Amino acid sequence: MRVVMIGVSHRTAALELRERLSLSADQVARILDDARSSWPHIEVAALSTCNRTELYVAKPPHEPPTVEDLCTLLARACAIEPQTLLNVLIHREQEQAIAHLFRVCSGLDSMVLGETQIVGQVKRAYESCAERQSVGPVLHRVFQSSLSVAKQVRTATGIDAGRVSVGSAAIDFARQVFETFTDKTVVGVGAGEMAKVTLRHMLELAPQKLYLVNRTPARAHALAESLGLSPAQGGPRPWEALDQLLVEADMLVTSTGSREPIITVERMKPLIRLRRSRPLVFIDIAVPRDVEERVASLRNTYVYDLDDLQAVVARTHEDRRSQVDQAERMIHEAVRNCLSEVQHRDIGQLIKALRARLHALGALEQERTLRKIAAADPQDVPALVQEHTSRLINKILHLPIDALDHRRSEAPLGFYSAALRKLFQLDTGEPPEPPESPESPERPNDGAAAPPAESRDPVSRP
Amino acid sequence: MHDTITTLSLVLLTAVSALASVLALRNLVAGATVRQRKTIVSLIGVCALGSLLLFTYRLVVVHREFTPLTAHVDGLLLIAALLSPTIGYLHARSRIANIAAFALPLLTVIFAWGICASAWTLRLFEIHTTWNVLHLASVYLGTVFVGVAGVAGVMFLYAQHRLKRKTDLAHPQKVASLESIEKLIINASVIGFALLTLSIALGVVLITGDERAHSGWWYSWKVALAAVVWVIFALVINVRHSTHFRGVRAAWLAIVGLVLLIVTMVVANMPSGGVDGVHGAGGSVEAARFEEVA
Repeated sequence: MRVVMIGVSHRTAALELRERLSLSADQVARILDDARSSWPHIEVAALSTCNRTELYVAKPPHEPPTVEDLCTLLARACAIEPQTLLNVLIHREQEQAIAHLFRVCSGLDSMVLGETQIVGQVKRAYESCAERQSVGPVLHRVFQSSLSVAKQVRTATGIDAGRVSVGSAAIDFARQVFETFTDKTVVGVGAGEMAKVTLRHMLELAPQKLYLVNRTPARAHALAESLGLSPAQGGPRPWEALDQLLVEADMLVTSTGSREPIITVERMKPLIRLRRSRPLVFIDIAVPRDVEERVASLRNTYVYDLDDLQAVVARTHEDRRSQVDQAERMIHEAVRNCLSEVQHRDIGQLIKALRARLHALGALEQERTLRKIAAADPQDVPALVQEHTSRLINKILHLPIDALDHRRSEAPLGFYSAALRKLFQLDTGEPPEPPESPESPERPNDGAAAPPAESRDPVSRP
Repeated sequence: MHDTITTLSLVLLTAVSALASVLALRNLVAGATVRQRKTIVSLIGVCALGSLLLFTYRLVVVHREFTPLTAHVDGLLLIAALLSPTIGYLHARSRIANIAAFALPLLTVIFAWGICASAWTLRLFEIHTTWNVLHLASVYLGTVFVGVAGVAGVMFLYAQHRLKRKTDLAHPQKVASLESIEKLIINASVIGFALLTLSIALGVVLITGDERAHSGWWYSWKVALAAVVWVIFALVINVRHSTHFRGVRAAWLAIVGLVLLIVTMVVANMPSGGVDGVHGAGGSVEAARFEEVA
C-alpha cells in the first residue's frame, strides 16, 4: 500500500480559502463514504482544523485514486473548483506523507510552533474515521505512530513549553505570585481587544471576582457580556470605584487608551496601607503605559508591561525554534520505523495472497492430473506427472510473463526484470537452491519435473 | 566520647549533601531535567538514611545505654535525619519546586557542624530524666521546622527579587509562587513554634526544679535568645493577620529566627553556655562533667 496525502494548510492557502475548505463532521463523513464507494480497496482519513484540511489515503501502488481524483473529491465536498484547490495543493507520498503527518501532529507545521491543540484534533479526526471504518491497518499504524511520536517529541524536546501569547504569559506572571485564584479578585481597566483576550485567559484561572472598569460604562458592560460574566462573578463597576478596586484587587489588567498613566505612585501610596501588605500584580498592556514605572518600587507590587510579556513570548519562540532540529531527527527515525512496519505488513499480506493463489492453481491441476491418472495405464503416469508439472509452471508464470509483455507500454519493464532477477537469483547462471519443504521432504519427480536451466530463465533470454 | 566512625561518616554525609547542594543550585540556575531531579532526590535519600543509621549506631554502640541526645552531635543527626526527608518531600512537590537548592546548603552546614561536634565535643548534656530527653527532642524537632521556615524565607526573598528585577521571565516556574512560599513559612513556623514553646516550658520546669541552678538563670544568654526566637516565631505565625509583617518581612523574620536559634544552640553547647553557667559562679555542672569525661 502507498500512503498519499493531499491538502492545504496555512502555509499554502489564505484564510478565506481555508475557511471554505474547512470540513464539518457531515462533510467528512460524506468524503469518507464517497471515497470508499468509489475505491473500495483504499483506506482514507480526513483531518480538518482551522489551519489545514488534509486527506490521507493508503492505496495499492499504480492504482486509483490519483491525486487529481482526490483533489476532485475534496473540491466537490467543499463546493469549490478543483483547479482552485490544485493551485494551493500540498501533495506528499510515502515517507514524505507520513513525515508530514508526524510533523503536523508534533506541532512543527503549526502556525504557532509546538502548539499542543493539534494533537487532540488529529486524535479526534483519526477516531472519527476509525468509527466509520474508513481507516485500515496502514492508516491505523500511521496515525497511532503520529500520536506516539508527537508525545515523544514533546517530552524529549519540551517544544511545547513556555507561553506563546501575551495573554497566557500574563497568567504565568500571576502564577509566580499566587498559588490559588479562587479567592482572588481580578480587575480589568479598559475594554480594548487586548484586554478582552487577556481577561479571557484570566477567567481560565477561575478568580473569585472579576470587575471591569471603563470610562465609558457601556463598553465595560459590552466586555462583561462578551466574557460571559455573571453578576455573581463581578462585572462592570463605575470609573469612580477604581481606587476602591485598587484596594480590593489582587491582579489588575489595564489597557486604556489614556495618554497619561492612570495609576501613579501618588495614587497608590495611600492605598498600599489599606491593602494590608497583600501583593498586587499589574499587567499593563496599554501603550502608552497606564501604570507609572515607579509603582513597581512600592512594596508588594509587581508591575509587568507589554515589553515584559512580549519578551516572554519571543523567548518561547526562540526556545522552540532551537528544538526543531532535534524534533526533526526524532521524526525522521520514527518515519523510517513506521514505513518499515507498514511495508513488512504489506509484504506479509502479499506472501499470504501469493501462497493462496499458487495453492489454488496447484489444487486445480492436482485434481485434473489425479483424474487422468485414475483412468490411465500405470506406464503413462510419468508422462502425466511431467505434463502436470509443465502445466503448473506455465500457469504460475503466465501472469508475470504477461506483465513483462513489452507491448504494454505502462508496464515498468526495467523494474519488473530487475525484481525477477533478484527474486529468482537469475543473474548467477546457477540454478537456485531448491527450497526446503518440511511438509514433503521427499516429493517424487521433483528432479524430473525441473525444467532445463535455460528454460527457467524466460526473462533474461534475449 | 569521640568516635572515629561517627566523624568519618559525617564527613562522607557532608560531601554527599554538598554535592546535592551544588547540583540543586546548578539546576536552579540552568533548569533541571527529570533525571537530574531524581539524582538530587536520591542524594537526599542517602543523607536521610545515612544520618538515621548513624544516629541509631550512636544510640546502640557508642552510648551503650539508652541516653539519646547526650551529645550535641546526636541532636544534629536527629535534625539531619528529619530535615532530609522533609526536603526530599518538598522538593518532589511541584508547588515548592527547587526548595532543595535553598535547603540542602543548610543540611550541609548541619552535617559539617556535626563533624565539629563529634570531633570536639565541648559539653555533654545531663540526661537525668525523661523530661530532659523531651526538652532536647523538642528543641531539635523544633529546629527542623524553624530550619524549613528559614529556608523558605530565603526562597521567598530570592523569588521576590526575581519578580521585582524581572530576571529570567521566560522561565517563571523555577521557584514556587510567593503565596506558596509564604504558606510554607507560616506552616513550618506554626509547628516549630509549638515545639519550641514545649521545649522552653520543659526547660523552665527542669531548671526551677534543679537545686544547683543559679538564681539568675532567667537572664542567661541561652534563655534570653530562646525567648527572642520564641517571640519572633509568635510574630511569624500571625503574619496573615498583620498589616506589617507579611511577605518580605515575614521571610526576614523567619531567617532571623533561624539564625538566632542556631546562635542559641551554639551558646547552649559552649562549656559555660548552660543556664547554670551564666555567671561562672561555682562552675558549670555540665562543664565539670565534660572535664571528667575528657
